[in-house]
Amino acid sequence: MSYRYRDEMTPPPPERASEVAVTRFEHVYEVDPALMTEHVTQQTFPNWDTLRLVRSRAGHLAWMHAHFADKVVSGEELLDDLDR
Amino acid sequence: MPDPEKRFAEEWRDAAYNCFSSGHKFCREVCPVMQVTGNESWSPTAFHANVVAMEQGSLEVADVAADYVNCTGCGACELRCPNSLFTGDFYRFRTRTVDLVKGVRSLAVRQEVHQPAWRRWNELTAERTHEPVADGVSQERVRDWAQGLDLTVGGETILFVDCEAAFYRPSVPRSVACVLGLAGYGFGLMNEQWCCGGPAAEMGYEEQARRFAEHNLADWRASGVRRVLVLDPHDYITFTEDYPKYFGEAFDIEVVLVVELLAALIREGRLAPHVPVERTVTYHDPCRLNKRKGIWQEPREILRAIPGLTFHDVDRVSQWSYCSGAGGGLAVEKPELTAKISEMRMGKAAELGVDTLVTACPWAERPLTAAGEARSIGVVDLHELLAESLGVAP
Amino acid sequence: MTVTLGDPVVEELRRILGHDHVLTGKADRLNRTRVPAPFPVHRWAERMPDLIVMPGSTGEVAEVLRLAHAHRIPVVPRDGGTGLTDGAVPLRGGIVVDVKRLNQIKEIDLDNRTCTVGTGINALKLNEVLSRHGLLYPDDPASYPCSLVGGRIGTSGWSLIGSRYGHTRDLVLSFDHVLPTGRVIHVGDGIGRKITKSSSGYQLKHLFMGHQGTLGIATEATLKLFPKPEAEFSPFWAFDDYDSAYRTVGQLARAGVATFAGAVLFDEWKVAYLRRDDEAYIPQPASVKALVCAALYGYEDEVRAGGSRLMRIARSMGARYLGDEISQGDWAARHDRYATPLHGRTRSGQVVPMSWHCEDASINYTNLPAVRLAWHEIADRLRRASDVFDDWGMFAYTNGATGADYLTEIDIGIWEQRLDDAAWAAWVSAKRDLAAVALAHGGSISACHGSCREGEVDLVPEELGGGFDVMLAIKRALDPHNIMNPGKYLLDRAYPDQDGSP
Repeated sequence: MSYRYRDEMTPPPPERASEVAVTRFEHVYEVDPALMTEHVTQQTFPNWDTLRLVRSRAGHLAWMHAHFADKVVSGEELLDDLDR
Repeated sequence: MPDPEKRFAEEWRDAAYNCFSSGHKFCREVCPVMQVTGNESWSPTAFHANVVAMEQGSLEVADVAADYVNCTGCGACELRCPNSLFTGDFYRFRTRTVDLVKGVRSLAVRQEVHQPAWRRWNELTAERTHEPVADGVSQERVRDWAQGLDLTVGGETILFVDCEAAFYRPSVPRSVACVLGLAGYGFGLMNEQWCCGGPAAEMGYEEQARRFAEHNLADWRASGVRRVLVLDPHDYITFTEDYPKYFGEAFDIEVVLVVELLAALIREGRLAPHVPVERTVTYHDPCRLNKRKGIWQEPREILRAIPGLTFHDVDRVSQWSYCSGAGGGLAVEKPELTAKISEMRMGKAAELGVDTLVTACPWAERPLTAAGEARSIGVVDLHELLAESLGVAP
Repeated sequence: MTVTLGDPVVEELRRILGHDHVLTGKADRLNRTRVPAPFPVHRWAERMPDLIVMPGSTGEVAEVLRLAHAHRIPVVPRDGGTGLTDGAVPLRGGIVVDVKRLNQIKEIDLDNRTCTVGTGINALKLNEVLSRHGLLYPDDPASYPCSLVGGRIGTSGWSLIGSRYGHTRDLVLSFDHVLPTGRVIHVGDGIGRKITKSSSGYQLKHLFMGHQGTLGIATEATLKLFPKPEAEFSPFWAFDDYDSAYRTVGQLARAGVATFAGAVLFDEWKVAYLRRDDEAYIPQPASVKALVCAALYGYEDEVRAGGSRLMRIARSMGARYLGDEISQGDWAARHDRYATPLHGRTRSGQVVPMSWHCEDASINYTNLPAVRLAWHEIADRLRRASDVFDDWGMFAYTNGATGADYLTEIDIGIWEQRLDDAAWAAWVSAKRDLAAVALAHGGSISACHGSCREGEVDLVPEELGGGFDVMLAIKRALDPHNIMNPGKYLLDRAYPDQDGSP
C-alpha cells in the first residue's frame, strides 16, 4: 500500500520459463535480459509499474469483451456438454 | 544541430523509434488534448516523431517547444500504447510520453526557450516557495488551513499538503486531518514545507524542481520524518517518481497515499461512515491515480462505504480517455484548452444524470467545478465526502 | 516535385478555414507524412506536404478543393493515418486535408437502425455512444481503436468480424463525397441516404470506396447498425502441424454456422514468432506448430448452438482446445492487433525495434498452402541477406461466411533505423515478388489495405487488365488536373500530356 524505494527497485529473482523468457512474478513473463544488451537496453522498471501494466492489460481485455458483447461463452462448458 | 538536441535525441533514440516505427496511434482517441483539438501535431505520436526528426537534424527544440505545451501529463497515451499495455512489462521497456514531454520542456528552458505564463508562474513559485494558486500565497501561510485543528509539527509521520489544497481548497486537508484524527491515526505537519517541485519539473524548470525537492528531503531528514502522507495525486507522482530519480537509493522515505490509507482504515473497521449523504454521484478517476498508478479500487471502496449515495460508476478503462485538463501546466499556459477538456469530462457525467461529480484530486476540482456550473453538477472531493459521512466535516 | 504554395493561396485558405485550422509549421508538416507501414525514414523530406488544413464542414472541404483545382495544387486526404498502404502519404507536397474535426454524430435513427456521422469519427468512440442504445457498428479492423470512418471508406477496409456483419463496403450505406473539382455529391445505393439496396443507375458507392484518396474526400457517412451481441465465443485450438490446422479452418468456415464471424489460421512461423513474447504461447509445448481460432457473435442460445457445432468439428479434426483463458484473452487483443516494434530480432536473437509490414493478399482456400511457402521463401531471402528484415509469420483470415477466400497476411519486421537505399530497394523488390505470387495463384494483391505502395503497385495493371484502363479514364474525367493524391496507383498514366504533374 505504500511506496518504499528499496522494495520497488528489488524485483523477485528470475526463473527461466523458455529459451527466451524468464518469469519473476507469478504468471508474468519477461524477456531474457541477455537479449536486450546490444541494441535496445531495458529501462528502470519499479515493481509497481510491472504490476500496473499486467493488471491494466487484464482490465483492458475484459473491457474489450464487454464492449463487443454482453457475455462470453465458455468453450470448456461446451466441451463438457459434448462429452455428456 | 545544437549539442543539447543531439544529446537529447541520443538519450531518447530507441524510445522515439519504438513509437515512430509503429505509428499505431492508439494513443490518439484517449488523449484529452487530441479529443478536443484533433491536431495531430500535438499527439503523443508527434511528440516522439519530433525526436527522430531532431536526430536527423531537421528540427530544433525552438521549432516545437510550443507544441509540447499541449499535454496534461495524464498518462493515457503511454498506458494505452500497445508498446506498454501488451509488451511493456515483458521487455521492461514501455512508452514514456510523460517523461519525454517533460524532457523536451526542460530542454527548451535550458536553451532559454520559454512559454510566457510558465516562466512567470515559476518565477513566482521561486519567490514564494509555493505555487501562486491564489492571492496571499506565502511561506508564512502554508499551515493556515490547519488553524484550530490542534495539529503538532513534526514526528515520524507527516501530512504533506499540495499548494492548491493548502491555499485554495483548505477544506480538503482539513477533512483529511479530521478523518485521520477520528481513526486515531497519528501524524504531524511538516516543519518547513515548500512546494513539492513537481509542477516546475512538469513545465521544464528542472533545476528549480530539484532545489525544492532537496529542501523538502533535507527538512524531513532534519526532523526525523520516516513517512509522508500524501492527499494529492500529483504529489504522489512527484514523491514516487521524481524524488527517486533525483536521490536514488538515498530516498528512504515511505510515501503513503491517503486514499489508500483511508480505504484500509474502513476495511479494518477503524472508520465507519454512517451519516447518509443523499446525492447521486459519479466518480472521476484522477489521471495520476488511475492511469499512471493503477489506483482505482480504493476510491470506489470508500464511495461504496458511504450510506445514502446513489453511485453511477464508469469503469476505470473507459476513464482512461477522461481528464480534467488541469495537469501538466496546461491550465497555466492554455486555460482555454483546460476548460474544453473539463467541459468534455463534465458532459460524460451529465449523461449519467448525476448531481455530483466526486473526485480525489484538488487540481482537477477547480476546472471541473467551473465546467459543472453550466450543467448544475457540483464537484465534491472524496475526502470531504467521507468526512461528512463520518460526521467530522470541518 | 514539390509545389511551393504562394502566400495568396495560404491567405485564401485561412479565410476559408480560420487561422487556427491552416498549419504551416515544420513539425506540423513532418507529422503528416507517415502511416504505420514501413517508411524510408532516410528520405522523410520527400514526403512532406506544404501545409495542412483542418476543415470543420463539408462546405469547407469543397472550398479547399475548388481552390486546389483552380491552382492545380496536390491534395492528400488524411483521416486516422493508420493505413498500411500509403494512401495518406503525400508524394508531391501540396495540401493535406485532415478530417479529424469532422467527428460529430449527426443522427442515430433507432427505427431504421442507421446513424449518420462525420467521417473523422472513430468506430470505438462511436460504439461507446451506440451501446447506450444496445447497438453496434461492427466495422472492426486491427486499428479499431484509432482508425476513422473516412479512412475506412478511402481504403474500402476489411473487418475482423466481417464474415458475420460484412466489411466496410457493406456497412457504409451512403456518404457525402467532395469530388476533385470541389463539387459535392451524395453516393450510395441509388441516391437514398439510408437505402441498403437499389438498382437505380450505376452503382457508384463501390467506385468511391477504396480509391485511396485519388477521387476526392468523403465527409459525412450513413452507417448500418446491428444489435449489440448478447454473447461472444472465441475458441482457439492448437495443432501439431500446419496441414491439420489448414483442413480444420476450411471445415469451420464451410460449416455454414449463422453466428460465425470469422476464423483465423496461424502457421508455424507465426507460432514460433509468438513464442518470443506472447504470454499465451511461451508456455505451450514444442509440439504446437499451428493454431486456429474462430469467433461467433449473436444471442447466447444461437452462439452456444453454433459454438458446439464448431467445437465438435474441431475435435473431430484432432484439434486441441487451448482453454478459456487463452481463447478469451487472445481474441480480446485482436481488435487492436498492431504489431509492436520490440517483436523484432536480429539473426543472433537480440531485440531491435522494427516497423511492421503486413502484406495482405486475398487468396482462395485451395491456394493457401502454396502461397504460404512461396511467400516465406521471399521473406527468408530478405532475412538471410540482412538483419534489417525479420519474418514474423503468416495469418489467413476468412473473408466471408462461405470460406471461399482468405485475407492472407505475411508479417515482416523492418528495422527502420538501419534502412538505406539498398535495403529499401530490396524491400520494394520483395513486395513486387509477393504480389506476383498472389496473382500467379489467382488472388488479388490486397484484401484490405490497398495496393498502391511501391513495388506491388507495378502489378496492379496486370491484376486489373482492361479494368485498369477504365480506372485511368475515370480518373481523368473526375480529376482533370490530377490534383487528388497524385502519384498513387500509377494514375499519372491518365495524363500522358502532363508528365504526371498537376
